[in-house]
Amino acid sequence: MEAISLLKKIGQIILLVLLQVLLLNKINLFGYVTPMLYIWITIKAANNISQSGLLLLSFFTGLAVDMFTGTPGMNSAAITLLAFLQPFIFKLFVTYDRREQVIPSIDTMRRGPFVGYVTLCVIIHHLFYYVLKSIPVADWSMLIAKVLFSTILTVLLIVVVEGSYVKNAKKGRR
Amino acid sequence: MRSLFDFIIKHSYVILFLVLETVSLVLLFGFNSLQKEAFMTSANSVSGFILETRTNISGFFSLGKENSKLAAENARLQAELFMLRDSIADSSIAKSGNDIITARVIDNSIRKDDNYITLNRGSKDGIAQGMGVYDSNGAVGVIMLAGKHYSIVLPVINGKSSISCKIKGDNSFGFLEWSGGDASKAELRDLPYYATVNVGDTIVTSGYSKIFPEGINVGVVSDVQQITSGYTLKVSVRLAADLSNLGWVYINTTQADDELKQLWKEIEK
Repeated sequence: MEAISLLKKIGQIILLVLLQVLLLNKINLFGYVTPMLYIWITIKAANNISQSGLLLLSFFTGLAVDMFTGTPGMNSAAITLLAFLQPFIFKLFVTYDRREQVIPSIDTMRRGPFVGYVTLCVIIHHLFYYVLKSIPVADWSMLIAKVLFSTILTVLLIVVVEGSYVKNAKKGRR
Repeated sequence: MRSLFDFIIKHSYVILFLVLETVSLVLLFGFNSLQKEAFMTSANSVSGFILETRTNISGFFSLGKENSKLAAENARLQAELFMLRDSIADSSIAKSGNDIITARVIDNSIRKDDNYITLNRGSKDGIAQGMGVYDSNGAVGVIMLAGKHYSIVLPVINGKSSISCKIKGDNSFGFLEWSGGDASKAELRDLPYYATVNVGDTIVTSGYSKIFPEGINVGVVSDVQQITSGYTLKVSVRLAADLSNLGWVYINTTQADDELKQLWKEIEK
């Protein structure tokens, strides 16, 4: 069971990384706004996943993206920070029984809290990513603009993907 | 003792987090060795292969456009060939031609602060660092890293790029650099203020550093400004090569011979 869910996760990672580097990285709105869907892997982590496991999965996902973009360490640093903070952020938005498994989604959290949770996750990731990318930071207003617009785009993308996912799941159940 | 052990086990993920974050930051900021970089960046075989596959698929759809571009170039070369034949017949000294490799662009960016181009040829095909890359329209960049099967080009629209150029017909030279923004424009710097430059003049490679052969098209002057403090001119150049639309490129493999390299080294000491 454990092995199957791990394989499934790795399959998801490969898919997300390919989607990110082959398609999404080609999107550069206004020259600097790129949606980063690959952090989906960390955002959708269940509450009962081991924290070390989540850290490792996220780190290698980031490193795989780095391999394609030629920025060793940049994506992996940002997503590792997110993986470290994800359990705490999740707890801010839901209350649940420790023993039951909860995966962050519109179904389990309702729409409002889910969007809030995703937004906070994405802001943390993007802020750290763009600070690392522009060190030494010369133009703070530009940096804030990059973080802001990229966050909007990424959150929008995640919510849309999540929404269609939920719709499909409901269709399947009928 | 036991409680200390428990504490470490319970919080081992914090240590793991610190380790992974340190690894990332060391990768990011401690990166200088070219070999390591070649492994990690898109010269890496796995990512290179995947990027090349994407280019093969998308390239299929632009075959028509690429074909007409090649046909036009063929015609131009044909004309040049006839012209050269005539001039060779005139002069007794036939200049030896440069060795040229063709390569395909498999990854390209134009809108980032630091742009790079990946080619599907590497050291196995005879490519080495410091070779000039140009396409049928004009200069594209210089090979920055050569992996075994792939290589990375530092294009003229990268802040780190600097290419020695001159004005066609005049011998005053400067350096072509890029300060971000528009991918179709660059600047020619360090041109002496007394040089005669007019809007519309053609800029070509100087050939001084042997990275490019002399006279490869670079662009056309679109604006001239005098910098009062530095006694130099700042010349805006509209680039001849369309960096947003690269298919096949040529790589100039003729590099400075050892004697010249030795002399440059002596100066740098």
